[in-house]
Amino acid sequence: MTASFAAVLDKALDSGPTDQSEDITAQKDFPLMPYGEAYDMGKADDGTPLIDPRIFNSLEFMRNPYPYYRIMRDHYPVFHDKLHNCYYVTRYQDVTDCYFDDEGFNTIPKGSSSGVLGNTQLELSGVEHRRRRNLYGQHLVGKSLANRIPAIERLAEEMIGDWDSMTHEPFIEDQDGVRTIEIGKAFANEFPIRVVCEVLGFPKEAQGDFYYWYNSMMTGLGGSETHKQGVEARQHLEDYVEGIVEERRKNPTYLYDNDGNVISKDIITKLCETKVDGDYLSTEEITSNIALVVGGGGETTRGAIMNMTYLLLNHPDQFDAVMKDESLWDNAFHETLRHSTPIGGQPRHNTYDIVMHGVHIPAGSLVNMVDFSANHDDRVFKDPETFDIFRDDLYTGKLIRSGYAKEGRYSHMAFGVGPHLCPGAWISHQEATIGVRILSKHLKNMRINTELQAKDIDGKTLAPMGLISVRDLWIDYDLK
Amino acid sequence: MSTQSQNQTLEQHPRPDAPAPEMVTGRNGVAVAKKALTVGSGKGYRTYEIHQRERVGESTEKIKPIQLISNDFARNPYPFLEILRENYPCYRDWLGNAYWITRYDDATSIFADEANFQTRSKRWFYGLDNFGRDLREELPVLVAHESRTDAFAGPVAEEIIGGFAKDGEVNLAVEFAARYPLELWARILDLPEGDFPQFVERFWRMQRGYDWEPNAEKDGIAAMHELADYFRPLLEQRRTAPGEDMISAIAGLELEGGPTTAEDVVATLLEWDHETLHGALSNMWFLLLTHPDQLHYVRDERMMVKFAYLETLRHSAPVLAAKRFARHEVERFGRLLPEGAMMICSAAAGNRDPRQYQDPDTFIVGRKDLCQREPRGLYRADGLPAGIAFGLGKPSKHPALPEDRPRSLYAITRDTATTANNIVLDMLANLRLQSGAEPHLQSLRIGDMHTCWDLPVVFDT
Repeated sequence: MTASFAAVLDKALDSGPTDQSEDITAQKDFPLMPYGEAYDMGKADDGTPLIDPRIFNSLEFMRNPYPYYRIMRDHYPVFHDKLHNCYYVTRYQDVTDCYFDDEGFNTIPKGSSSGVLGNTQLELSGVEHRRRRNLYGQHLVGKSLANRIPAIERLAEEMIGDWDSMTHEPFIEDQDGVRTIEIGKAFANEFPIRVVCEVLGFPKEAQGDFYYWYNSMMTGLGGSETHKQGVEARQHLEDYVEGIVEERRKNPTYLYDNDGNVISKDIITKLCETKVDGDYLSTEEITSNIALVVGGGGETTRGAIMNMTYLLLNHPDQFDAVMKDESLWDNAFHETLRHSTPIGGQPRHNTYDIVMHGVHIPAGSLVNMVDFSANHDDRVFKDPETFDIFRDDLYTGKLIRSGYAKEGRYSHMAFGVGPHLCPGAWISHQEATIGVRILSKHLKNMRINTELQAKDIDGKTLAPMGLISVRDLWIDYDLK
Repeated sequence: MSTQSQNQTLEQHPRPDAPAPEMVTGRNGVAVAKKALTVGSGKGYRTYEIHQRERVGESTEKIKPIQLISNDFARNPYPFLEILRENYPCYRDWLGNAYWITRYDDATSIFADEANFQTRSKRWFYGLDNFGRDLREELPVLVAHESRTDAFAGPVAEEIIGGFAKDGEVNLAVEFAARYPLELWARILDLPEGDFPQFVERFWRMQRGYDWEPNAEKDGIAAMHELADYFRPLLEQRRTAPGEDMISAIAGLELEGGPTTAEDVVATLLEWDHETLHGALSNMWFLLLTHPDQLHYVRDERMMVKFAYLETLRHSAPVLAAKRFARHEVERFGRLLPEGAMMICSAAAGNRDPRQYQDPDTFIVGRKDLCQREPRGLYRADGLPAGIAFGLGKPSKHPALPEDRPRSLYAITRDTATTANNIVLDMLANLRLQSGAEPHLQSLRIGDMHTCWDLPVVFDT
């Protein structure tokens, strides 16, 4: 064999997948880099860094995505991942533009997710979408939302009060007047679902079922084996809600404030009374809306609470400032969502052939709008990797569907923008802020337990959040 | 807001064949090209109704698109392809923006439908549409290719096998199957012997780069330019002093677009490739050595070598799929395929279609339901399906008849493989697998050829 061919062939054989594990994706072992540094995947002749699409499946990318997004923003504003044959849009302006172009970048149902969540407005466009969205969106904003704040606060207080009777649980431990607690299991996982049940007006006994349905529906979105379980869970949820809806049509139920006075009817009762074109909403329509609220209201808010607590505790000066000035909670919330978004982006499919930044995208391609990257775009946010609730380029006012871009302040992209802006944005804002505010009120001298908290690869510094929200957050606080 | 790098757009893959789209300035000043939604323009337009229509009755929970680019698929694609073929014969892969065609009749109907479906060259996948011209249709080139191949198929095989015949053991997949087609190419082009190693190395890099891996792509493009630089003086030299080889034939061509260039030579080599011959040799010995009864049968009945080759291409096609693109919106397989739709016509799935072959997963040399002659379009010689290995594309503009015309590529490859395999049987007595060896087929990279890379054998010296 000719010597140089043997070498080339050896190289080719080396680079092939060697392990035959159950591993589903095309993994390549990328080394774990110091946080904030990108692994060198080679350079083009003109010096442009290359991106190996296998990085998107790697652990390295999960924990340390931002330097790679920076390469994409600077060199490939539209990146064609030829392995998965999809496209990534990473700059703030481009993501905003695509979100507004509801016709050009559609959300029409693809693949198997639609079977799980049902025919929700997540997957509709145009007029039909607007109609559906407004039907229940109206119950999650403005005065309707303000009415629910006491109930949300009461729930948080109740949950924290329950801790005293839970000291046998593995995630709570008292020692020498200091309580060590894992905030996720003790509070954040459960709180959003309880809020959803409360706001929707479901009886407390149903909460266990709700966890199961919620978890099954979430894992079922991916399709394949778990899809069946997801569809079944949705069917059970549907059967349950159907019964409730029929019941509420006859006997309306109400929300009460802390003193037991009636505030208003609950959402289901209101939806039962809603008329469209002279007709009452069908039970099917109400059910898919509720499935969406259950699905959308859990994980995202959980992530916001965890991330916000984690980031504030990691920046004690900013935490002190917030504790002194209540009006800064909004800043802290928005900066958290900018810095560490619980949902990293939204898929779209382009309706037409288009050319963006010189890249031709054939119609029907999967185009990923990367909110993570838009929020860390230094064309918009100075020094984007830094968590700073006082930053002067982030808009922290009332959330606006059309986005905000005035006087050097920009809204973050965590809720998206335009017609598909998250309808739960306003309520999750209240939930997360109330959650963290009440935690910080009750937990004296709250601090991270650096022994139990997950570490980064060096085994010393705390693990970065990366693409997922903080999973477990261990906190110490003084009981007296 | 800083606009410093805002204008720094990257011309990633200019597509000269893509029609110039209408440009629309988006809200924030980003240029977005949009096509008019008028009837007749038909340029890849998709409407809500089309998606809704596609959705009817569609439930594809038995497979996830990510599985089609998984390591498991690279190792053994057949279980996944069976799911597609038996459940979703025209599977809409929303992740990869493609349609998977997995039944034999469906795939061949696309291959034969030049009016509606288009083949795109490897240069298109490289983003180098204008790099040279593909000269595979030029008669002098075909004649030179055929005569040189026939002249050297035997000698090259004897030389390579002679190199390890005394050792008593060898990795047949690498030392023979991978090497043979490349060395043969060097003879077809009549390269100076000292240049072989470098040529073979560059050819290999070029053939492996038009895929998804950015480093391989960069490397492949570099190899193409290196090869062009290498061929340039050779081409000029043979213009004045032509020989019998393929470069001389290319040098002597008189084409409308001007004289031939070194880029034309490289483009022709790139499109011609070597993968089917490489994979067929490797997979055939893998299959024969793991099916000893079939090996004995072939050894005793030498005329069956040819049939073993044909059955190999059916049972374990090295090139798993061929891509075709819809020229315009067209309705097929109960779907409305938009213009530009990527059709992944799976040879591996079609070749194991139980609608065509009895017991399709079994390797049977000389099986009765496999056509033993060259397929021509949808026409079936013997009335039998031929297996998909060469894509049954549009017929050559130079059919193999009358007699002085060169044989088709299908026939040349088959005869070359048969010659080489007969020499293996002649020279390596009592060929068998090394004890304990567990060879398997494997794509080195997602989307790469599916073949055997490690086939340790022993033989009597």
